[in-house]
Amino acid sequence: MECEAERPPLGVFKCQLCALTAPYSYVGQKPPDTQSIVLLEESYVMKDPFTPDKGRFLVLGSRCSLCSRLVCVGPECSLFYSKRFCLPCVRENLDAFPREIQQDVERRKGPSKKPVGQPGSGT
Amino acid sequence: MPPPRAKDGRDDRGRPCDPREEEAPGKWDWNCPETRRLFEDAFFRDEDYIRRGSEECEKFWTFFERLQRFQNLRSPGKGDRDPGRPKHSIPALAGLPRTYDPCHRINLSVLGPDTWGPRGLGRPPPGRVAEFRQALQHYLDFGQRQAFGRLARLQQERAALPIARYGARVLQALKEHQVVVVAGDTGCGKSTQVPQYLLAAGFSHVACTQPRRIACISLAKRVSFESLSQYGARGYQIRFESTRTAATKVVFLTVGLLLRQIQREPSLPQYQVLIVDEVHERHLHNDFLLGVLRRLLPQRPDLKVVLMSATINISLFSSYFDGAPVVQVPGRLFPITVVYQPQEAEPPASKSEKLDPRPFLRVLEAIDKKYPPEERGDLLVFLSGMAEISAVLEAAQAYARHTQRWVVLPLHSALSVADQDKVFDVAPPGVRKCILSTNIAETSVTIDGIRFVVDSGKVKEMGYDPQAKLQRLQEFWISQASAEQRKGRAGRTGPGVCFRLYAESDYDAFAPYPVPEIRRVALDSLVLQMKSMSVGDPRTFPFIEPPPPASLETAILYLRDQGALDSSEALTPIGSLLAQLPVDVVIGKMLILGSVFHLVEPVLTVAAALSVQSPFTRSAQGKPDSAAARRPLDSDHGDPFTLFNVFNAWVQVKSKRSRSSRKWCRHRGIEEHRLYEMANVRRQFKELLEDHGLLARARAPQPGDSHSRLQQRRERRALYQLKRQHEEGGGRGRKVLRLQDDPGGCSSEEDPGAGDSVDIQDVKFKLRHSLDQLQAAATAAQDLTRDQVALLKLVLGRGLYPQLAVPDPFNSSRKDSDQIFHTQSKQGTVPHPTSIFASSPEVLHVQEQEAGGTEGSRGNKDKMSSRHQLLTFVSLLETNKAYLVNCVRIPALQSLLLFSRSLDTNGDCSRLVADGWLELQLEDSESAVRLLAASVRLRARWESALDRQLARQARRRPEVDQEEEEDPGTRKEVADLSRELLKFTASKSDTDLYSDCLRTFWTCPHCGLHAPLTPLERISHENTCPEAPQDGPPGAEEAAPTPLRKASVLQKPYHCEACGKDFLFTPTELLRHRRQHV
Repeated sequence: MECEAERPPLGVFKCQLCALTAPYSYVGQKPPDTQSIVLLEESYVMKDPFTPDKGRFLVLGSRCSLCSRLVCVGPECSLFYSKRFCLPCVRENLDAFPREIQQDVERRKGPSKKPVGQPGSGT
Repeated sequence: MPPPRAKDGRDDRGRPCDPREEEAPGKWDWNCPETRRLFEDAFFRDEDYIRRGSEECEKFWTFFERLQRFQNLRSPGKGDRDPGRPKHSIPALAGLPRTYDPCHRINLSVLGPDTWGPRGLGRPPPGRVAEFRQALQHYLDFGQRQAFGRLARLQQERAALPIARYGARVLQALKEHQVVVVAGDTGCGKSTQVPQYLLAAGFSHVACTQPRRIACISLAKRVSFESLSQYGARGYQIRFESTRTAATKVVFLTVGLLLRQIQREPSLPQYQVLIVDEVHERHLHNDFLLGVLRRLLPQRPDLKVVLMSATINISLFSSYFDGAPVVQVPGRLFPITVVYQPQEAEPPASKSEKLDPRPFLRVLEAIDKKYPPEERGDLLVFLSGMAEISAVLEAAQAYARHTQRWVVLPLHSALSVADQDKVFDVAPPGVRKCILSTNIAETSVTIDGIRFVVDSGKVKEMGYDPQAKLQRLQEFWISQASAEQRKGRAGRTGPGVCFRLYAESDYDAFAPYPVPEIRRVALDSLVLQMKSMSVGDPRTFPFIEPPPPASLETAILYLRDQGALDSSEALTPIGSLLAQLPVDVVIGKMLILGSVFHLVEPVLTVAAALSVQSPFTRSAQGKPDSAAARRPLDSDHGDPFTLFNVFNAWVQVKSKRSRSSRKWCRHRGIEEHRLYEMANVRRQFKELLEDHGLLARARAPQPGDSHSRLQQRRERRALYQLKRQHEEGGGRGRKVLRLQDDPGGCSSEEDPGAGDSVDIQDVKFKLRHSLDQLQAAATAAQDLTRDQVALLKLVLGRGLYPQLAVPDPFNSSRKDSDQIFHTQSKQGTVPHPTSIFASSPEVLHVQEQEAGGTEGSRGNKDKMSSRHQLLTFVSLLETNKAYLVNCVRIPALQSLLLFSRSLDTNGDCSRLVADGWLELQLEDSESAVRLLAASVRLRARWESALDRQLARQARRRPEVDQEEEEDPGTRKEVADLSRELLKFTASKSDTDLYSDCLRTFWTCPHCGLHAPLTPLERISHENTCPEAPQDGPPGAEEAAPTPLRKASVLQKPYHCEACGKDFLFTPTELLRHRRQHV
């Protein structure tokens, strides 16, 4: 059996909009074990749990550049358009975004996010 | 955003091109391998996120092609300006790109490349590099979205489990009480979630027991996956392997393993919380564990216990632990309609006892009539056993061929693993699966998509007859709990229907719960374990439900018979060693004896072979081809030797050309999976012997030079990679079943091993075992001398004793298929059909020319011969007949002389009765006496060699792991003993003279004493004659001061004042001896 020393988690990331929680092992723009990739925002990152490859990372979320809320990257909580915006802030300032984004947010209409626990909320 | 799908394949591949060419419009070709290699060299280096040549790399190019097509479609609309939008007052919004481009939505960027390839070629046009980089960013973003989606889905699924709303309640109850019962049905999520709730609540030393090994592995994986490894949670410990590390916070282990941990440290200091899962299954060791825990709890007030159960008989567990609180979790079942269809008394279809399949066919017809084929939903039929399954299978397949609306599949534990897996395949549209299963599908195997259940109401279970010490497969009515469980299988994915082929009044008459295992199985190993854990008298142990007293008594008696307990029911040295070996008593004895005689390697293989299910596939039994192909491996010594040959031959095949071992097995009707198991068990036995000082720990053989070491390391790394790839691939995918024309039920893929797919079993095997070592053992096995084989037989014989069967005297005049044998408690047993003695019974017949007793008056029946043989067997299995399983033939006289617990003789030793049931007549009392004397001496020396070995083992402390060299004295002793034993087993006894005279004049060849002596007196003299040559080490002789120890229950120790010696005498012997001194 392989024994991989995994990077110990720094803490638990918790999205302030939905209840998603996950342990993160790095915060910043330069995920460990990857040379040629930079992140364009200060991100909470964990090792990709779905592959045994150590170098693979998964961005969990970051702070909204308007309200500083910690939000996950899920499409029902936030979007990235050169910066991270939580969906409530996007909705408030919808006219500041190009039409494509506006249409996209329209499509995501409904409650900002169903609380985790309700079956059937597809991703 | 998933990329748009490709409609057609790639084109224009391999056209010569030069990527460095200044771009001429329309000439750039992304499909050119040269171009691609140029970019791969720059962006997909070894240290990059994607590596050249990896699967990921291929995926990227596929993505790239789709993206290109997608962008070509869209390009006219690109660059849509949005001039009407004013610059925003909020700074964070002011800097947003004014022109929308999907690339602004990607939160990562790819750097580089620093150089353009080691080939020193020029760089491609910058526009193309940008195009490539953008595609790569899209690809990475796509991967991020996918992975995050999975993560979110995983958490939603966890939260949606029925148990999710009860987590807090469980924790609260555990705060207030030491023991909590969590009751919920399959699918409520308790097994995966409760450990995680405990970890999240801050507990860190959690053990969770499972009745089955396979569940330990899958749960550990699942929990580790779900908790995203945040608790270092991935730990399981089972019989063969452990992934436990110092950081492990929760460990999944089998009940047996936990009990052994308690054996070592009774207060179980290593755990804070103990979860005992599936307590309702009422397994033997689970019941015992509950008893142990109940006693332990007052001593460990800080230890918390969670009992997890299906919603069956919960109050039993709650009240056993002083009214422990119960958290009941409702299941997630859809409504199920129950239809009672009692079988009316109708004229039997045929005279045979075969199950009538017609009621089952009627259900198939009814489903076809009532439900349109577009409405999906499969059928699961519960039958009592394999014979019943094949009866219904035949009829149902005929019906399926006719209607083309069903695929019929059997499911039981004797099927090959690949065949078992077929039940998870999907039926083509408009066709339903009909799975004919034993109760394996009740709890162990969960099949999705079942809408209809047919319940025959019957189950076949191993019953245990303590009087006959016989396992018996019997048919019973199921319990109400089982009936409900079966019904529930119809409502897992939607509303369902359950057809019960019995009346509602029958159901009401069912026992509420199944009979717990402790009431139906042999309790030998349980009693042994209880003894070694010093829990007191098993008769008074506070079991949750006590076992039948008769079973306990039989087990205690058996252990005394086997020498594991002494007359005061205390553990003997061999008994305490046996208790540490988690194996059957008989197997344990074999291993210990094998280590005494330096036969460890072959004994390990044989013991392993006897500990797993037979590798011979059931379907192959009827195939003459397989049997013929296997014939060279058959051994006429007996079935364990055949298994020994099979395993060794397989190892040889594996080491020469491992890819073909699967085919090799199939050709011979061998289930390769069982051989892998054998290899695992063998390795585990070896480690056990090493751990207990019975075998010197093998120093890891280091290949001599660094080159071969490097080679080896490289090979292992490649194997790990293969294994990993396999795990990523998720193993066997689902296949679509084919409507069958041929009976047998085939998936679309006939031959799972023939393709180029990786044989993952082979990979795991090579990772776990040193093939070189195994091969060395297998090669050595080919060179076993006749002597070694004979010794091996002695070891098996002594291990298996008193499991003996004597051939019926009329066997040689019977048909091959009618050979019968008698055991002490059971008349008329037959060798199992797979046994060599079923196919070639003649090897057991006494050869005419060797038969003694030249007088024609003696019938065949009581021929005098030195070649009479007995069968020793591993187990007795009763189904429609009583079968002897795994038989070995052993020489009758010598074996009984060496192994029997008691021997009664007449005055001149011409008649011997072994253990009160087998009588031997010897023609020549001279040689009889000689044999008897020799056997007494040998037995004493054997005992002492064994004692010495056990003492040596007991001296060793596990922490002092330094090798104690076997001293040369012991080595010689064993060698001498082996030689003598062989001489003894080869001895003949049927010489001609028959003497009636009890007392004859005899001259001692050593001291010259000339006196009229009875045979027993002669033996006694010979053993004590001061002039006699010491043919063994002195210690051995000293250990045998009394001839015929234990010779009979009637014997009592006697000290003779006249001759100053100690004897064991029966009253008649005593009188006779006294008369000598008169």
